[in-house]
Amino acid sequence: MSAKMELRGVSKTFQARGGETRALEPCDLKVASGEFVTVVGPSGCGKSTLMMIAAGLEAPSSGEILVDGRPAGPAGPRRTVVFQRFALFPSETVAQNIAFGLRVAHVERAEIERRVAEQLRLMGLARFAGAYPHELSGGMQQRVAIARALAVQPDILLMDEPFGALDAQTRTVLQEEVSRLQRELHYTVLFITHSVEEAVYLSDRVVVMSRGPGRIKREIAVPRDADWRGLEIEEAGNRASFLHTKREIWELIRDEIVRH
Amino acid sequence: MSGASATLAAGARRSGASAAARRPAAYGAAALLGLLALWGIATAIPGFVPPRVLPSPLDVVLRFGSLIAEPFSGATLFGHALVSLQRWSLGVLAAIGLGLPLGVALAWLPPLRAIVTPAFELLRYIPPFAWVPIAVLWFGATTTTQAAIVFIAAFPACIINTQLAVSEVDSILVRAARTLGAGAATTLRRVVLPVAAPTVFTGLRIAFGNGWMALVGAELIVGKQGLGFLISQGQINDSAATILVGMTTIGVLGALIDLVLQRVQRLALPWKPSIVKPFE
Amino acid sequence: MARPLAVARWFVGAAPGADRTLPFWRREPSRAQWLAIAFASLAALLATWWALTRPDGVVSPLFLPPPSEVWDAFVRLLRRPYLGSTLGQHVGASLGIVIGGWLLAGAVGLPLGIAMGWWQKARWIAFPVFQILRPVPPLAWIPLAILWLGIGDSARIFVVFIAAIVPWVMNSMQAVYSIDGLLVRAAMTLGASDRQILTRVVCRTALPTLVAGARIALGNAWTTLVAAELLAATAGLGYIALNASRTLEIGILLVAMAIIGILGALFSIGMHVLTRLVAPWARAGRAA
Repeated sequence: MSAKMELRGVSKTFQARGGETRALEPCDLKVASGEFVTVVGPSGCGKSTLMMIAAGLEAPSSGEILVDGRPAGPAGPRRTVVFQRFALFPSETVAQNIAFGLRVAHVERAEIERRVAEQLRLMGLARFAGAYPHELSGGMQQRVAIARALAVQPDILLMDEPFGALDAQTRTVLQEEVSRLQRELHYTVLFITHSVEEAVYLSDRVVVMSRGPGRIKREIAVPRDADWRGLEIEEAGNRASFLHTKREIWELIRDEIVRH
Repeated sequence: MSGASATLAAGARRSGASAAARRPAAYGAAALLGLLALWGIATAIPGFVPPRVLPSPLDVVLRFGSLIAEPFSGATLFGHALVSLQRWSLGVLAAIGLGLPLGVALAWLPPLRAIVTPAFELLRYIPPFAWVPIAVLWFGATTTTQAAIVFIAAFPACIINTQLAVSEVDSILVRAARTLGAGAATTLRRVVLPVAAPTVFTGLRIAFGNGWMALVGAELIVGKQGLGFLISQGQINDSAATILVGMTTIGVLGALIDLVLQRVQRLALPWKPSIVKPFE
Repeated sequence: MARPLAVARWFVGAAPGADRTLPFWRREPSRAQWLAIAFASLAALLATWWALTRPDGVVSPLFLPPPSEVWDAFVRLLRRPYLGSTLGQHVGASLGIVIGGWLLAGAVGLPLGIAMGWWQKARWIAFPVFQILRPVPPLAWIPLAILWLGIGDSARIFVVFIAAIVPWVMNSMQAVYSIDGLLVRAAMTLGASDRQILTRVVCRTALPTLVAGARIALGNAWTTLVAAELLAATAGLGYIALNASRTLEIGILLVAMAIIGILGALFSIGMHVLTRLVAPWARAGRAA
């Protein structure tokens, strides 16, 4: 199966006052079409940097990024991003935010309205279409951000610790929603998180990074037909298979944190 | 009430009721009325305060009336006020016209900053009034001179606050716009400028205020009309009442301008600004 | 060997804000590039000035004298007294009044502002008075000051005082008033008395904002003084400027302006340094 997105030999070195900082060792990563891949790793391992490079918002010090086999080019709607801090445009309503990428691409009005309506329905935002971001809770804002990213129908959706700024309950609700959407619609997703539980619950494959300067340590497949798929995260968390996968990943990470 | 608990209570109240706003208003009114009464009494005692130094409140009110009705030193009170406002408008419009686009450009194009900043920083510390002598030499004792001083007073606040507002737009919004396919022009127009607008407007208000203050000073030094001229004439004619009327008018107009601008800001730009402290 | 190399690379290499995914005109220049551009820009300005004011140039020397004339004026001011005082005496006169008025305003305004921030009743009584005072430009007080005090030092000190007192009071009040109530509560639970909380906790935490208020007051004072000297002085930099403009000695006028500007800049930098010294934990930002 050919990859939708491929990162080949991507590394990153930052210039700082004292000298150079190596943030990322050369990494190879493939995301297949319809696959949900999550990158986890200890703090400072460079996973956010990896994501920014994948999105085209940072230039890699070496290596290349390919989408559908061809060089990816600058940041754009083929690889939209959902940020941890929502990044909603404060001067635009919910509907206008969702429509932003479409307006920029000069999509015709009827189509814009259709897609916005679809996203509002999908993310449960219909009642808030005319609200401004500062009037919404964190969870709602992040839903809008996801809707905005999906409205342009990207080749791949990048999510940078999207639930990190939310409280535990909102987090759980959104995790379950994303999981449901993924099972129905099979987006291609590259996801970053701190939470191993979240990674296992949502993904088809979990990529574990080493301590900074990061490189890819191991990839762990999470079977689509596991017995806990489709359950609420509380339920799933009690299943032996889930716990087994979770422990496997966590051991890898702990090994990185504890190692001197 | 001890100071500490009062501060705490004030803190709690800050996030609360407007019914509690009546008590402070009462105190404030009492204080002002008290001062007014003191003033009246002091000037009522014969020989205590020479009328040349401090006229009685009644004198001031009467003077106010006569200045509205009859011209003094060339125009009535309204006439002088109008001239001042005209000059001020010219100066601030020029400052906005130049300062706003330049501020945006400076924030958006770092190399431009490197080019402009040295010269700007050198000139910025020269107070507006230090430019008066040379402005008179260049433009004569005309409206242009006054407007130029207003411009010099308002321009730095315009350009610096605009630059600050635009550059402090959270970079994450710019990134988000890029990932959604927006080019530089679109991002600037649709994202950065609207988000920066409330803060820019606050900067403009400060600039307008600076301009008004500078105008008065310039009119004191040079010119044959205007509120500044009026109060300097008051001094020459030994009429403290005239001076007080002039000062009050200047203050009231300045406050009104700011209030109107605040209103406009609230109506036109209802979304929340970023948390940037403006430069005075 | 590594250290100098690292510093050199820091100097020449891309700035931290540089984003290589952006075109060059949107990218932050490196520090070396910055210096080079700034230098070139200033040099170009100087060259333009010189070119425009050459003997056969476009601009007449009555409008803008050539750089050489300005330099000569500067040297002349240093060597011989002008209008009865040396340059040093003029500068001293200006500085004396500015600093004097500013300190006086601080002596009155700082305690008053703190009291207003701390005690509710004080605030309710005094704040409206300052709200009324604020819109009246300090300069507008000059005619009144001349009427009351005549053309002399006291009139100018009075006006400088008025110019400085509003920022002193308002900023001090704001500094104390906006202290996080949490800190006060914490101090109370640790047994501090009212006065101790005020002096140890509140004043210390509010220090950066207090210094910012002092800085703004100084800026106001300096601006106002220059204007006051244009109207009612017998010595000082503004006085020099005024007379030089009357006698068409534009070189001297420009030198006076430049010195005024330099002193203003020194005040600003000095206050920023003071802020850093006094409160190293606070970000030295611009305060309202």
